Amino acid sequence: MIRALVTDDSRVMRQIVIRTLRQAGYEWEIREAANGAEALEAIREDEPDVVLSDWNMPEMTGIDLLRRLRAEGYGTPFGFVTSEGSPEMRQTAEAAGALFLIAKPFTPEAFRDVIEPVLA
Amino acid sequence: MSPIAVGEREIFEIAREVFDAMIPGGGALEEWHGDLPVQHEPLTAWVAFHGPFSGRAVLSSERGTVDDLASALLGLGPDAVVGDEDRLDAFGEIANMVGGNLKSLLPFPGTLGLPEVAAEPPADGVLLEKLRLSWGGRPIVITLWSTDSAAAALSEGSTLQ
Repeated sequence: MIRALVTDDSRVMRQIVIRTLRQAGYEWEIREAANGAEALEAIREDEPDVVLSDWNMPEMTGIDLLRRLRAEGYGTPFGFVTSEGSPEMRQTAEAAGALFLIAKPFTPEAFRDVIEPVLA
Repeated sequence: MSPIAVGEREIFEIAREVFDAMIPGGGALEEWHGDLPVQHEPLTAWVAFHGPFSGRAVLSSERGTVDDLASALLGLGPDAVVGDEDRLDAFGEIANMVGGNLKSLLPFPGTLGLPEVAAEPPADGVLLEKLRLSWGGRPIVITLWSTDSAAAALSEGSTLQ
């Protein structure tokens, strides 16, 4: 069972990400957070195996969440699921410690391709 | 930095990719032929670009079509009732995906705003591109706007360079 935290300010997109994770395979135990601040609290309470986060969110953005986690010493595997996948953003994500960036729109195959190395 | 054109072709390809991957059923996104019908209960969703290029990507359709888009996006059945919150959320996310992918093509750094949904789009800006599209015979219009005077000057051409 893989314990994932899905963070997105859109409830609809969280549902789609969760559905796509299940379509990609594996057994998931999934929690949800509606922004970076909620996610930070959820991780402090109970660190998941992997975090999938939107980038652009109110309260705390995804990149601020990742930087805060690393600053607090959390090495939680972290990836972005975001509508913008520019080289600039990929570079910024990698520099902050993200393992992957999935650009929307996405497919179950795109999830499988990036999740498998994380789980290896 | 080499210039990247964002014109009708790029917008159409991005929108089609979003619909193909995320909105199963309802048919492929096609070019709309002929005059657009009057929209009943229009809804508009947009995301703003901030930075050296300021503007917005805007999707417009009518409420019934947006309900069907939300239902398809969520993988619900054809008879499912879509609540107000999910309707606005889903339409905003479609605009967010189209706008985010368009921003990736711009040769400028910058940020993307959060999606917004309203009956009418903001009134300011200069129209750069307008695509009239058909999703299963129902009209969806995508427009690209600039909201600063420098970029608006580029609208004299057919593409944003």
